[in-house]
Amino acid sequence: MAERLWTNPLTPSLSPSGRGEGEGKLRGEIQLSRDEIIGGAVIFLFGAVTTVLSLGMPIGTFRKSGTGMFPLILGILLMFLSGLFLLRLFLKTRATPEKSSAGEIPGSSKQLVLFFGTMVLVTLFFNRLGYPLSSFLLMLALLRILGVKRWRFNFPLSFITAIVCYFLFVQWLKIPLPKGWIGI
Amino acid sequence: MFESLQHLVNGFGIAATVQNLLYCLLGCIVGTVIGVLPGIGPIAGIALLIPATFGLNPTSAIIMLAGIYYGAMYGGSTTSILLNVPGETASVITCIDGYQMAQKGRAGPALATCAIGSFIAGTIGIFGLVFLAPPLAEAALAFGPPEYFSLMVFGFIVLSNVTGTSIIKSLMMAVVGLIIGTIGIDPVTGDARLTFGSISLLSGIEFVAVAIGLFGIGEVLINVEKPSEMLEQRVLVPRLRELYPTLQDFKKSIGPILRGTGIGFGVGLVPGPAPVIATYSSYMIERKVSKHPEEFGKGAIEGVAGPESANNAACQSAFIPLFVLGIPFAPPTAILLGALLIHGVSPGPLMIGQHPELFWGVIASMYIGNFILLILNLPFVPLFANILRIPKKVLLPLVILFCITGMYTVNNSVFDIWMMFLFGGMGFLMRKWAYEGAPFLLALVLGPKLEVAFRQSLMISHGDFGVFINRPISVAFLLATLIFLLIPVFRIIIKSMKKGGV
Repeated sequence: MAERLWTNPLTPSLSPSGRGEGEGKLRGEIQLSRDEIIGGAVIFLFGAVTTVLSLGMPIGTFRKSGTGMFPLILGILLMFLSGLFLLRLFLKTRATPEKSSAGEIPGSSKQLVLFFGTMVLVTLFFNRLGYPLSSFLLMLALLRILGVKRWRFNFPLSFITAIVCYFLFVQWLKIPLPKGWIGI
Repeated sequence: MFESLQHLVNGFGIAATVQNLLYCLLGCIVGTVIGVLPGIGPIAGIALLIPATFGLNPTSAIIMLAGIYYGAMYGGSTTSILLNVPGETASVITCIDGYQMAQKGRAGPALATCAIGSFIAGTIGIFGLVFLAPPLAEAALAFGPPEYFSLMVFGFIVLSNVTGTSIIKSLMMAVVGLIIGTIGIDPVTGDARLTFGSISLLSGIEFVAVAIGLFGIGEVLINVEKPSEMLEQRVLVPRLRELYPTLQDFKKSIGPILRGTGIGFGVGLVPGPAPVIATYSSYMIERKVSKHPEEFGKGAIEGVAGPESANNAACQSAFIPLFVLGIPFAPPTAILLGALLIHGVSPGPLMIGQHPELFWGVIASMYIGNFILLILNLPFVPLFANILRIPKKVLLPLVILFCITGMYTVNNSVFDIWMMFLFGGMGFLMRKWAYEGAPFLLALVLGPKLEVAFRQSLMISHGDFGVFINRPISVAFLLATLIFLLIPVFRIIIKSMKKGGV
């Protein structure tokens, strides 16, 4: 059975059979997990910060609204919606024991941190290194992090990718990308 | 009517130039490749390639991006049938019977039916577009700020209702998108707002950064977090046998194709992720009208022909609200709106008159694109499916490199890359917490328009909210919004009543 490589953010969760067995979860059901509560709380906080920041701007009247009016309405609306969401979550949590996350695919947080860290690091030196060198180093590091350890494979692959991208974007499409210290 | 046909002929003249034909072909090929790649889909595909169109004129740019859009829709069905892997959202339904057909050695007829059904639907859809868009544009001139406000609120509610795990979460995402959309210069007073003194934020949050971040980077990060054994897995590409459907297959398919076209075209005109709703509706209807509903789910060709036609027709008609109202009702068209704005074109009722070469050129190119896709999809299916052989551990770094390159080219600014990473992190968390990106993105695009409509309405009415309910078109949209909001409540009540009854 072919495994789904990526999951589309718009695609309902699909079972390997493709019959959408997870569709029952699509609507209305709130997954009772700690993540849900954290998510709801973060959004509530975002609404609260927006509200506070909006109050620091001119509000005006409905007839002649100021800069802060629209964000203020949105901030309050977001606090209301996320508050409602959290309330529903708490009521359901009390009624039903919290679902265990056992059985979920164990995540590789270290790999994720290394991967994201490399992206950040290369971007930090993007202008100084220049596009060809940045793209080469980025590919090399990301491939190694994802387990492509053999130098005879990942080195030529990174080099070819950097060269192809350079000719595609810089030479063919004439996009002004950073030249860096190597000057190309 | 004849005037529209004359304009269409002129449009063919524009679309058939060597340059535009090449961009249409390129868009179709890239779109098909994107559609074949599971998960990237038309949204991320268009977002990723917007920067590549910066050097083009608006007509060529939109022709290419539109080609990517419907190319991705075509390509998505290929992996659904061959591998049971939906390349994009609207292809989920095709998996059900398409994959079963492939398992029975009928992958060829399934793929051919898909391509032919999509071509027929696309052809009919284009004629609908030609004859419906101009009168709808005239009708849209009757829309004032209150009507636009109510229509956009209606769009948010419908989209929130049909996407995601819960309506409240989708609504929350829409409001977060609206808030992010307020960053920058106030569209009415011209004052800086929520910029924290940053000059880079004065022009607002870069839309491309949000789109690539949420969908591209977010998806990559989700995959990177998976154990490395899962990154090792490869997809087996089966051999293609028996390419052509039989006469019996044609007979079975033609009804579903025509019905699917009608459903898709109608659904594409209303707010929401039209292709998804259209494919679901078409499948349900085909199962209902079929004399052998028991065959559905076991490889019924009607279950492929109907939804795929509906999918394509919905993609075509989704351009009507985008072009004539300037309001995208679905995420891919929202990104196309962003692309149009980047190229200095403001879609709306006056667009057909102000940019006829773009409007009619794009419509004509859709027809040409459909034909190109038919030719592409029939013989080259095994070739496209081979892309799936690229292991994820090679594919993911390539996507990241492409995202960074694409993002930098928007404004030649590293700041945009940081914004993309920020929204990438947000996209990752949203996926983990099961929040939808679509309402967020739509709200970000429509936010400034919604705010202007809201504030202008209240200015017109001297602060009286009655302006939204005293005007018939506006109140009709608000009533429809209310109905959509109440649907989930009624569902819960009915569910609890049933439970109580048992």
